[in-house]
Amino acid sequence: MSATLEDSAATWSDHRADPPVIDPRLVPPTGASRSERLAAWRLRHHLRRDEADRVYAGARSPDRGWPVADDRAVLRFFRELIGRRRAMFATLVLLNALAAGTGLVVPRLLGELVDRTVDEAGAGIAGVAWLVVLVVCLQALFTFLGQVVSTRFGQDLLASSREFIVATILRLPVGRVEGASTGDLVTRVTRDVGTMSRSVQFGLPMAIISLLTVGLSVVAMLLNSVLLAVPSLLVISTSAVAVRNYLRTAPRGYITEGASYSRINTTLTETVEGARTVEALGLSDHRVRQGDDDIAVSAQAERYTMSLRNLLFAVIDVAFNTPRVVTLVVGAWGYANGWLSLGQITAAVLYVEALSGPLDRLVGELDRLQVGATSTARLLGIAEVPPDRAPGDALPDGRELVAQDLRFAYREGHDVLHGVDLRLRSGERLAVVGPSGSGKSTLGRLLSGINRPRTGSARVGGVDLVDLPLEVLRTEVALVTQEHHVFIGTVRDNIVLAREDSPDEAVWDALRAVGADDWVRRLPQGLDTRIGSGQQALTPAQAQEVALARLIIADPHTLVLDEATSLIDPRTARSVEGSMNALLEGRTVVAIAHRLHTAHDADRIAVVIDGRITELGSHHELVDREGGEYAALWRAWTS
Amino acid sequence: MRDFPPTVTSFWSPAGGAGAREVAPPPDTRGPVRFLRWTLRQQGPVVWVATLFGVLWQLPLIAGPWLFGWSIDNGIVPGDADAVALGAAGLFAVTLVGAVFGIALHTLVVRSWLISLYGTTMLVTRKAAQMGHVLPRRAPTGEILSVASSDSDEFGAMTEIIARAGSQLVSFLAVAGIVLATSPRLGVVVLIAAPVLFGVALPFLRPLHRRQQVERSRNSELTSLATDIVAGLRILRGIGGERTFRQNYERQSQSARAAGISAGVWQAVIEALGVLFSGVFLVLLLWLGAREVVAGRLSVGELVSFLGYGLYLIGPIRTFFEFAQKVTRALVSARKAVAIFEPEPPWRDPDRPIPLDAVGTLVDGTTGLVVRPGELTVVASAVPEDTARLADRLGRYLPADTEPVAEAGDEEEAGGDRRARRAERARRRAEIAARDAEKARGPWGVRLSGVDLGDASLAEVRRTVVVSDTSSQLFAGTLQDAVDPHRRLTREQAEEALLAANAEDVYDALPGGWQGVIDERGRGLSGGQRQRVVLARALGLDAPVLVLVEPTSAVDAHTEARIAERVTRVRSGRTTVVCTVSPLWLHHADRVVLLEGDHVVADGRHEDLLSDPAYRSVVARAMDDEEVAR
Ligand SMILES: Nc1ncnc2c1ncn2[C@@H]1O[C@H](COP(=O)(O)OP(=O)(O)OP(=O)(O)O)[C@@H](O)[C@H]1O
Ligand SMILES: [Mg+2]
Repeated sequence: MSATLEDSAATWSDHRADPPVIDPRLVPPTGASRSERLAAWRLRHHLRRDEADRVYAGARSPDRGWPVADDRAVLRFFRELIGRRRAMFATLVLLNALAAGTGLVVPRLLGELVDRTVDEAGAGIAGVAWLVVLVVCLQALFTFLGQVVSTRFGQDLLASSREFIVATILRLPVGRVEGASTGDLVTRVTRDVGTMSRSVQFGLPMAIISLLTVGLSVVAMLLNSVLLAVPSLLVISTSAVAVRNYLRTAPRGYITEGASYSRINTTLTETVEGARTVEALGLSDHRVRQGDDDIAVSAQAERYTMSLRNLLFAVIDVAFNTPRVVTLVVGAWGYANGWLSLGQITAAVLYVEALSGPLDRLVGELDRLQVGATSTARLLGIAEVPPDRAPGDALPDGRELVAQDLRFAYREGHDVLHGVDLRLRSGERLAVVGPSGSGKSTLGRLLSGINRPRTGSARVGGVDLVDLPLEVLRTEVALVTQEHHVFIGTVRDNIVLAREDSPDEAVWDALRAVGADDWVRRLPQGLDTRIGSGQQALTPAQAQEVALARLIIADPHTLVLDEATSLIDPRTARSVEGSMNALLEGRTVVAIAHRLHTAHDADRIAVVIDGRITELGSHHELVDREGGEYAALWRAWTS
Repeated sequence: MRDFPPTVTSFWSPAGGAGAREVAPPPDTRGPVRFLRWTLRQQGPVVWVATLFGVLWQLPLIAGPWLFGWSIDNGIVPGDADAVALGAAGLFAVTLVGAVFGIALHTLVVRSWLISLYGTTMLVTRKAAQMGHVLPRRAPTGEILSVASSDSDEFGAMTEIIARAGSQLVSFLAVAGIVLATSPRLGVVVLIAAPVLFGVALPFLRPLHRRQQVERSRNSELTSLATDIVAGLRILRGIGGERTFRQNYERQSQSARAAGISAGVWQAVIEALGVLFSGVFLVLLLWLGAREVVAGRLSVGELVSFLGYGLYLIGPIRTFFEFAQKVTRALVSARKAVAIFEPEPPWRDPDRPIPLDAVGTLVDGTTGLVVRPGELTVVASAVPEDTARLADRLGRYLPADTEPVAEAGDEEEAGGDRRARRAERARRRAEIAARDAEKARGPWGVRLSGVDLGDASLAEVRRTVVVSDTSSQLFAGTLQDAVDPHRRLTREQAEEALLAANAEDVYDALPGGWQGVIDERGRGLSGGQRQRVVLARALGLDAPVLVLVEPTSAVDAHTEARIAERVTRVRSGRTTVVCTVSPLWLHHADRVVLLEGDHVVADGRHEDLLSDPAYRSVVARAMDDEEVAR
């Protein structure tokens, strides 16, 4: 018996060698000297950077889960989006430039006021003051218009990009969706869309406005006095190196952070959705600890980006505040030599003062854009999943579904199907039976064109299923799996998915066929009752009935039912199958089942063992076969 | 000082055993405001220290203009190089102080943000641990998860804005003090004008606020739509309906966009007003200042520093607006969090719990079921829901008979309606909770060795009677962790459990054997493999009383026969209840019980019962062909 668990001893772990969740070197030392503490901090920073690099590399081409796009893809995406709104973008820039420009006149006028106060003992002050008021009013007007356009622009951009993302998700390769994690995808459409939206909605317009203000301020400073402006600008420009460094390293940090939040969410989702299991098995401690571990890992990622920001902010703070000192010194020197007036000095210091705001904001917005870009990269990563099919234009000629030499592997080198040949007769009911794990569901997926076989082909009317456009494919074959999901919406919405224009009679017919008309009629609002997460809940059996009704409405000529009635009690299931068959007269049905009454009632039975069809025939042909697999299975089942 | 991740021990503390653990008091859930206050208290001194650092960080802005003005008066105008040097040195010094405290401030702000964010997530996890299967009766799963994933962020944002607004308030007052000391007249203007400007803008905040609420509620609907799409993606991709869902999403997205724009227009109004007011404020300040200078009551340098302050003061005013907005958002989030954290477990352990004797007869008063110790009892019923209900009772679980009350989705309604609905929801929630509590606290009606399960502690019931029902889930991790989640089995025991569940093929199919990775929910395994790993896990617990509901519904007859035989063997001598109608189990049963509705209608050995037509009609599998409806 233990021959099957051969290397059990080698792979069993007693958990003593498990690495700790957090590398002990990442915990700051206590009671160390200053230099030791600094060295320890640098080590921590480097360890975290290595981790970020590792996560980033893994995220670019994951062996499971969804990838992350690179920076170029993000840039291209936004350039395209902006390109489509060129006129609006130009208006945005113009209005905000006007707002910033008028704003910059104010310090000049204030400087003028100072000069008049000092030199002319206050002559004409009132005139200048009224001028300033006028300019301020203009600035307010331009600000208002500029903001309105920015909001429109930002919201448009946001709406288009989230609609693009959802459209992309709805186009994901069917095979890939079947195999990959939902938790990560959910985190992306919630948290990442949120982050992206904040940066698109506020970050982008703000960055543009700040950039304009900074640019125009520089011009204004130069106009005010070259002598005062140049030294200040030089000091400010020293921060460019730090900013560039930051922009280069930060994305990986943020990607790592994003991945850590995906994990936190996935674990928590499992804990909450499996609350009953957790309680029944006494796993609460375990789940709580796992959640805490995820958070500990995430905290390390946060500490890394925090250090990066700290390094940046230190430089920025000094670089943006020092120009005041410079202005003072240069101003004193220029004033002493008679090259500068007090008004010019005043204007210069006001500019410097006014500049540090937008510059600060610009850097802040760059940071926000950075985070947003990272989220966008995670979102666009979904779009990078290569399509698993390129629909050809050949249309099927006939309805016959033929599988030839099907082989398939989920993991390279491990085929789970080893050359299956099967010819479905039009209108027949074929039952597929066999041991658990023998490849029945896999066969079902290939027969319904969800996955592409590694070798061989599954064809309908002479065309490979996976080469058909999806819309055509679905009129040919459809698959119902044991996994069910009830969408948020009415009962009707849930059933007419594939054909929205179905009349209510058709819906009721379908419900009657799956034995669901009774309970639907009893619902508070019948077909209009809202079901799905957070609404009226259905039992698993009811959900399965909804899934079957959905399929009846979709009405393809071939249906693959993978244990589609396993949650319904056996007797009801049998009568449901019977009435469904009556309704689906003329349709070909492939029913994968462990309950052999399905096989008994079918026209033919295929027995799948270890990825091969070993027997094929009707119940009567197979049930008495000497040494036959089906015969043995039947005996075991009915014993 | 506290750091992130925080230590959270409310609701549940993973350190100790069930009874002895130290559980911190739960959050204050008497209302959203109190909850926010509690959140702040969890920060310890972090927020206040951050506020202090914030003041020091703004030192260049507070002291800068004054130093500059002083240098003009004492250095530039009289041409005193030393005074200029002194002023420059002072300016540079405050710049450095600002930079150093900028780092300290940022560190603390991140710290406080993450204490709130991680803390909330940890609370949700612990709440789930504390409530177990009762939690989904109190709140929809989506809402529970969104408290952890998005509302937690609002609490973080709130701590940040409190620190920032607090420090700006202090600096504002400091600046006002400086201005007041230099020129009382102008000082009064500054002190009065700024709040007045803020006050004049306040009425405009209300419409903005309303529109932002609409925008937020549409956005959250958008999010749940997207989540629903992702969760049902497999079905959508399999059967069609992408177009409908895309159009739904687009419609919702466009309506969120419209709401966003209308909020944005009001935001623009406020921005423009800000520009207008602060500009006028500046001019006013300067005009008055200039007159003071002309009148000889003010020096030029002081005037220049006033201008600097005028510019500076715009910042705090903006921050106060932001403060008002973020606190409101945090309040909305707090309401959702309260709905999750408030419910208490319906259970109350008796003062003197009676220890359970696992080797005894298990009797269900409702159905009259009697399970003898050490036997394999199979419960058969034509209606699976009946046996599921029985299994729930045996394990002391509340029946799946109620829907949670959803919280979100009314931000767009008018105030009065909203309040009425809120009250209505609270009433319904309280009703469910009261019903649960009544059920959970009285005698339970199931007795083990004569002791009612309600008289024992719940932890002991869970340890003694393990129910593995059809909703049992696999968690992501290694195969070893899936079979031995408690990490207390030896390899031999784990192998035995795996073999008893006939799940050897899972071991062989996964690369890496015991360390092979199982994805969330066991995706990547076949349906039957998943079920068998779940069974192995249940067997590995070695529970005194084990209740298995439909443990082999997804496997073939051969596998089922093997499992029935092996499970019977490994469980021999211990009480086991299996709910199924499969003859393969019935053969091995020491006793079979036939359930109809909530009543045991027959019991005995399988062979003997077969003569009972009612029993035969439930379990027989021979095919009478005329029954087949074709
Ligand atoms: N998504 C997947 N990724 C990797 N391996 C998989 C995946 N799905 C199935 N397998 C493996 O492929 C093999 C065949 O699985 P399949 O689901 O086709 O079996 P099945 O015959 O339907 O079994 P059951 O009756 O238990 O549902 C199994 O060994 C299984 O572990
Ligand atoms: Mg299967």
